[in-house]
Amino acid sequence: MLKIASLVTATVLLSSCSSTVEELYQKVAPRPAVVTSQEDVSATQESIIAADSSSFQSQEFAGNHARSAAQNSAARMAVAQLKNSGAKFVLHFSYDGSEIDEAATQEVIKHANFMRDNPALNLRLEGHADERGTREYNLALGENRALAVKEILGLYDLSSRVNVISFGEENPTAQLHNESAWQQNRRVEFIYQ
Amino acid sequence: MIKLIAAFLTFYSASVFAVLEVTVLKKAEDAFPIVISPFLVKGDAKQGETIAHIMRDNFNRSGEFNASSADYIVTSQVDFDKWQAQKIEAIVIGKLEKVSKKIFNVEIELLDVYSRKTLYAKKFAVHNSGIRRITHYLSDQIYFALLGEKGSFDTRLAYVTVANKGRGKREYKLEISDSDAQNPQTILRAASPILSPAWSPDQNKIAYVSFKNGRSEVFIQYPFVRRKTQKLPYFDGIASAPAWHPNGESIVLTLSKDGNKDIYSYHLKDKKLTRLTSDVSIDTEASYSADGERIAFTSNRSGQVQVYIKHLKTGKINRATFVGSYNAKAVFSPDGKSLALVHRVDKDYRIALLDIATKDLMVMTQNKLDESPFFSPNGSMIIFATNKDDSGVLSVVSILGHQTFELVSKAGEVREPNWSHYSK
Repeated sequence: MLKIASLVTATVLLSSCSSTVEELYQKVAPRPAVVTSQEDVSATQESIIAADSSSFQSQEFAGNHARSAAQNSAARMAVAQLKNSGAKFVLHFSYDGSEIDEAATQEVIKHANFMRDNPALNLRLEGHADERGTREYNLALGENRALAVKEILGLYDLSSRVNVISFGEENPTAQLHNESAWQQNRRVEFIYQ
Repeated sequence: MIKLIAAFLTFYSASVFAVLEVTVLKKAEDAFPIVISPFLVKGDAKQGETIAHIMRDNFNRSGEFNASSADYIVTSQVDFDKWQAQKIEAIVIGKLEKVSKKIFNVEIELLDVYSRKTLYAKKFAVHNSGIRRITHYLSDQIYFALLGEKGSFDTRLAYVTVANKGRGKREYKLEISDSDAQNPQTILRAASPILSPAWSPDQNKIAYVSFKNGRSEVFIQYPFVRRKTQKLPYFDGIASAPAWHPNGESIVLTLSKDGNKDIYSYHLKDKKLTRLTSDVSIDTEASYSADGERIAFTSNRSGQVQVYIKHLKTGKINRATFVGSYNAKAVFSPDGKSLALVHRVDKDYRIALLDIATKDLMVMTQNKLDESPFFSPNGSMIIFATNKDDSGVLSVVSILGHQTFELVSKAGEVREPNWSHYSK
């Protein structure tokens, strides 16, 4: 080590270069290593993937563990019936828009009536955006779309049973990068729980 | 001394992850011609070429240099006339000597071809595992000796990769790497999206948005110490778009706790939340100026998506963008004079540079779907995410010369880039 340090004195031309070996070590201190060991990484990975795989599957009906199996199946049948009646479970929006037109309002009213008839059910509204524009703005836009639906349901005193979540542009249903895919992805999904 | 070497030893202990491929797409014109000679090697030291190679790549990526090798090893007897005839302006020569199994002596000298003077010289010992880091450090020193400005080489990137796992499942990874995309390390894996990673000013923490609990929430991870990832307090609605105050003590973020998407600052020690905007429109994507006196943010309060600047001392909010119908996700340049942002041109979203004082807007890119611009710490480059062949890649454009290079992952998409501050 001393031998290395002594080399520094040779052929150094500028005053700024006269620092010793030790000084240079300090200036360029080693980068800290990522502490997570391999075992930890894989454990974290498994737990995270296990924890959130459920939340990333679009579900028309997410069963509540607290509810009995009989109630569950009754609720499931009611949701299926609403679906068969032609009520829409996905509403679409214009570019950068969160307005709900008259036709869409009629669809929301169908859900409002359904919720009044089925007081045990809660509704999750998932707002989504297309890929255009920035991710964080789209996250906000997706929430505005879901909130616009919730606002109508609020007129029927249903706000307390409606839960709003935005996924922005992160969970598209159509994977292509064209007008028709974007149209499909600008949406609010109705999920009963 | 021994302790420092021991620290170096642990540095490269993590296993190798998929490295992003770096390709220079467009070369800058009028780049400074520099030759970085192969190093003179004593003993078994293949790293000599590694150092010269990393250095050449660094300078070529910067957009300010045209770095080439010499076809022989240039030693201290430099034939200046020859290099002058080839219009080379500066030359780097070096020597690498193996002194023990893991320890090397490195000598480096930067020579001005015209004045024939030494502009920078250094001699030191380095552990094998520290060679890459010290090469970036020396690249910064040479950059400074030639241009009088700091380089951005001894810094790090953070980004998110996305791989398709089949049956509609995806794996999201939050990764960090050196500024040249080498030495990548995964710090988080998840099945749900990860957004907006942001290095803390001290480079010890990374803030990001995760959906792991089924909704967007802001987390702070400590990648280099055994400390639990911290979740910012839960509020109703979305929590997203975190950005650090330059003093590292607080974070600005977007919350919609009352349905309104507004910008708040959260003080990490005092656990105090301060509301910075209050408007019925969407306010999001805030970022601080380097002096901490202003924030830029995105808002649709005018009916269009535009960028605004709030002066935190006076509380005054001014609209910053007037050209185009969509301007978003602005970040301040390190000197505080300009903003890099996402700007809509017809149907395309591109990265543009806005001069805050003159309001001049310069479109920097020519792609369809560019997003997430972020400045290199010296302000000479902007990194951003874009789409290529239907997959996400990172791209870097230099402010002068508009040189572009690309960072592509073979394993899938790469997005949401963030560039660290300078290392201490």
